[in-house]
Amino acid sequence: MIIRKLSGILSNFTNLSRVYGVLVIIVILAGMVSIPSLDYHGDRLYPKFIDRDSPLDPYDRGGIPFGTTTVAAEYPENSPYLGYITAYLTPLSFALAGATQHMGTTIVAHPGGIIDEILYATRGLDTVVETTILFVGFAVAAYLFRRRENE
Amino acid sequence: MFDQNIEGAELFALPFGDIVPFFSVYTATLAAFVVVFILISAFDRPERQLNIVFGGDAYYAKEIKESDTRFSRFMAIACGCATLGAVVTGDVFNFTLFAVLVGITNIAIVASAGNRHVLNAAFQYGIVAMIATVPLFGSAAIILATTGTLSIWTLAGMGAVPLLAKALLILGVMGEGIAPLYIGKAEIIRAQGAPFVLMIHFSSLLLFLRVTEIVLVI
Repeated sequence: MIIRKLSGILSNFTNLSRVYGVLVIIVILAGMVSIPSLDYHGDRLYPKFIDRDSPLDPYDRGGIPFGTTTVAAEYPENSPYLGYITAYLTPLSFALAGATQHMGTTIVAHPGGIIDEILYATRGLDTVVETTILFVGFAVAAYLFRRRENE
Repeated sequence: MFDQNIEGAELFALPFGDIVPFFSVYTATLAAFVVVFILISAFDRPERQLNIVFGGDAYYAKEIKESDTRFSRFMAIACGCATLGAVVTGDVFNFTLFAVLVGITNIAIVASAGNRHVLNAAFQYGIVAMIATVPLFGSAAIILATTGTLSIWTLAGMGAVPLLAKALLILGVMGEGIAPLYIGKAEIIRAQGAPFVLMIHFSSLLLFLRVTEIVLVI
C-alpha cells in the first residue's frame, strides 16, 4: 500500500522538484545534528586578514605589487610566481581606491579591478569554469528568447 | 592516493596551480569513454523519430533539419567537455563546478526540444538542478572548513571528510545528473534528436561513477 502510494507520487514528474527538495531537507536536518562535532580549520589554506578600514576590503591580501608577498597555497611548487601580482591594481582601480572606501565592492564592476591571485592564478581553472557556466546560461536564455521570436 | 583500490596506477598529472587534474586507470577509462561520446555527438547525424499511425500499418519518419539540431549538438559537445573536466579534475570544488556545468548543459539539450510536454519536464529538471547547487557547494564548503583543503590528492586516505559533506556531495550530483529521478528522464527522452539526448544519460552516469570514486577515496 505504501509502495503503491510512493510510486504514485514518483510517477508524476511535476512532483520531481518537491521530492528532491524533501530529500535535501532530510539530509540537511540530519546533518545539522552533526555540525557541533565538526572542527573548523580556516587557517590552513588561503588565510586572509580582514581589515575593515582598507578600501579593498574584503579582497585586501596586503603586500606590495611585483614583490614577494607571502601567499599560502596548497602546492606552492606549481605556482613559482606566487605573491607577485597579489597587490597589483590597474591605474583606474588605484584611483578608485584612493577616492572611495568601497573599492572592494567593485571587483566585478569594472575590468581589471582587483587581481586576487588565489582567484585568478592559483585557482584559475575554477574561475574559467564559473565564467563558462555563466556564458552557457546566457547562451540557453538567448536561444530560447530568439526561438520565441522566430515562431 | 593511488594506493586506493579503486584508482589504479597513476598515469598522468597536470600541475595547474592548486588544481591538479590527474589520470588514474579509473579516471582515464572514464575520460576515454567521454571522448568517444563527444566525437559521436560532433559527427553523428540525428536519428529520425518514427511515428506509427493508429488503426493502420502506416508509419512515417519525422524530418529533422540540420538547423534544428545545431544548438543541441553544440550543447551535447559542451556537456561532454564538462563531463571530461569532472572526471579528470583533482579538486573537490572544481568537480562541483563541472557538475553544475553538466547540469546546465543538460537543461539546454532538453530545452532545445520544441515539444511542450518535454519542456515541462525540462522546467522541473531545471528547478531540481538549481536546488542541487546548494548541497553541492555546501559540501565543498564543509570539506574546506573541516579539513582546510579541497585537493583530492591531499584528502585521499585521510578519512577526515565528515559524512555530512559526502552525503551532500552525492545529493548534489543526484540533482545535477538526476540519475535516480528517472521519471523526469522518461519525459525528456521523448525529445527528438538522439544521440544528443543520450548525452544527458551518459554524463549523469559518468558523474555518478566519478562521485562514487571521490567519496570512496576521500
